Amino acid sequence: MSPSAQRVLVVDDEPQIVRGLKVILRDAGYEVEAAETKEEALNRVSARTPDAMVLDLVLPDGSGVEVCKQVRGWSSLPIVVLSAVGDEREKVRALDAGADDYVTKPFGPEELLARLRAVLRRRGEEDGDAQVVVGELEIDLAGRTVRRDGLEIHLTPIEFDLLRVLANHRGKLVTHRQLLHEVWGPGYESETHYLRVHFAHMRAKLEPEPSQPRYLITEPGVGYRLREQS
Amino acid sequence: MPANGEEIQVRRRRIAVTAAEVLGTVALATGAVAVLDQEAPITGLGVIYMLAVLLMAIRRGEIAALATAVLSVLSLNFFFIEPVHRLTISESENVVALVVLLIAAVVIGRLAATARERASEAEQRARLASARERDATILAEAASSVLAGGDLERQLDAIAAGLEASSDSALRVELSAAPPQQPGEVVVPLASRRQPGWLCAVAGSGWSREDLERLAEPLGRLIDVAHEGERVSSRAAEAEATRRADVAKTALLHAISHDLRSPLTAITTAAGGLRAERLSDRDRDEMLSVIDDESDRLARLVDDLLDVSRIQATAVNPQLDWCDLGDAVASSAASVRARLGDHPIEFDLPAGLPLVQADAAQLERVFSNLLENALRYSPPGEAVRVSGGTGGGKVIVRVTDRGKGIPPSRQAEVFEPFMRGRDGHQGSGLGLAICRGFVEANGGAIRLQSTPELGTSFAVSFPVARQPAAAG
Repeated sequence: MSPSAQRVLVVDDEPQIVRGLKVILRDAGYEVEAAETKEEALNRVSARTPDAMVLDLVLPDGSGVEVCKQVRGWSSLPIVVLSAVGDEREKVRALDAGADDYVTKPFGPEELLARLRAVLRRRGEEDGDAQVVVGELEIDLAGRTVRRDGLEIHLTPIEFDLLRVLANHRGKLVTHRQLLHEVWGPGYESETHYLRVHFAHMRAKLEPEPSQPRYLITEPGVGYRLREQS
Repeated sequence: MPANGEEIQVRRRRIAVTAAEVLGTVALATGAVAVLDQEAPITGLGVIYMLAVLLMAIRRGEIAALATAVLSVLSLNFFFIEPVHRLTISESENVVALVVLLIAAVVIGRLAATARERASEAEQRARLASARERDATILAEAASSVLAGGDLERQLDAIAAGLEASSDSALRVELSAAPPQQPGEVVVPLASRRQPGWLCAVAGSGWSREDLERLAEPLGRLIDVAHEGERVSSRAAEAEATRRADVAKTALLHAISHDLRSPLTAITTAAGGLRAERLSDRDRDEMLSVIDDESDRLARLVDDLLDVSRIQATAVNPQLDWCDLGDAVASSAASVRARLGDHPIEFDLPAGLPLVQADAAQLERVFSNLLENALRYSPPGEAVRVSGGTGGGKVIVRVTDRGKGIPPSRQAEVFEPFMRGRDGHQGSGLGLAICRGFVEANGGAIRLQSTPELGTSFAVSFPVARQPAAAG
């Protein structure tokens, strides 16, 4: 293990899952630690904060949501939660409590690794790039312009702001709440219908095929994501 | 009591009138005898008094006839028989005539009075018979309302309506705890053990309290019968629901044991294969992809079972939010493509469909299931079509395949859990049951249209809600 390897804390009480995750994460170059309970997870994070945490929502001594809340009290450590179909409400609570992204069980290794990469990169590039390129889209954040296949596309200021927030977090889930807060400001966090209308317009302008979006991905009931690679 | 006072007055007046008639009649007869006194022997003229007795017997009955007879005999004696103006009789022949007159008067009076009573009895019987007939009509109407069945509310309404119709709007029932207070109405309680109620006769309709009481009892019983019927049928419905739930549970258990076992067997076999000593890279990849695929199948089955159990326990609890149906279909299509490969899907959804209030994650499950289903039953290369629009206060999305179609006889059952197409396609058999459960829990409806050999179309519709204020 190289000394610069990033450390990931896996919190799950299912030994078989932890075994599998250890193999997958080590193979991808991470250093892996594991905790089985909420208590143990919080102890490990406070003793020596890892670079990222993969957190199961159901733990023997409580919910992963509480771990998110407590960790967010003192650390911006990236957190990816593991959720299951039927846990949607718990998942949303975890995201509201500060989790950065989620994968739905059962998940493939590529999916988990992509999410981890996105949340870790976000951390490394706190101020964002001036220019973000995704497939045929070139987003110039400083100049506030977007091009597709080299042709400039006109977006309204609000549409550009939405795109900017997604581009700053590319590949990563951005929740409805977060988007509304960053673009409209405090007090608008539950006006999700604003997003429906604006995203429909943005897709009509940015997507080659608006009915089958390649860039602006909906995470049903949770938020949106700008695809990393197409 | 005022009623009794009135009755006494009426009787007094009748007695007075009768007395006056008796006196008048006797006076008339006396006058007639006086006129005819010269023409005939006085004992023969007694017959005129007989007429007076007969008249009073017919008009006023036995007692009036008797009084008339006595008065007649006295008048005859006093005015016409020697010695005149005295009540003594000198000739014994006259005594016989007077006695005969008295006896004849009594007998005639008796006969006439009997005839009169018979007539009045007959008249009363006829009145009673017609009242009974009227009651019977009313009760038959009410009974047929109860026999017609339906829910309790409807039966009671039918009883009330039937009562009004069959009584020419003279009667009505009022199903309330307190008696109605319409001025002038006659009101009696219905004899129902399950429901307080009142039978009322409109003022001036001629229905007496006794008439109403005669009806109130059987009407009350009929209302009880209607209640009883409702209780029995709701019990039967419960029993039927329990039976169907049992059948569904058995089917579920059966399917779980079968459907879970086959992917598990495939996985354990593949895992065993991986331990083989001489294993080519190709074989190894083969085994791994079996494990991957079968695990996916298991995972989806478990998700489906979870959804079905939530639906059956009516614990769907959608988290309503504004949703764009086009967006929901698009993300469903993406996840189905990721799973089943790049099957052509044709989108023909107008932009700007009205937003609907629904649970986004559940909508995604609905359209994923519909699309997956459509892809499974489509001939390879034939596009599945997604279309939609608004109309009739609804926003509709249709998912159409060009498969073999579903025969009409099976169209009702495709939404039941564990109903699979018979073409050996692999699915949990739960997809459409989940679709219907989620769509209905979110306030929408799902319909299917199918033409054999041409394909099947599933239409998901939601009422168009008042749209939220436009974005700032």
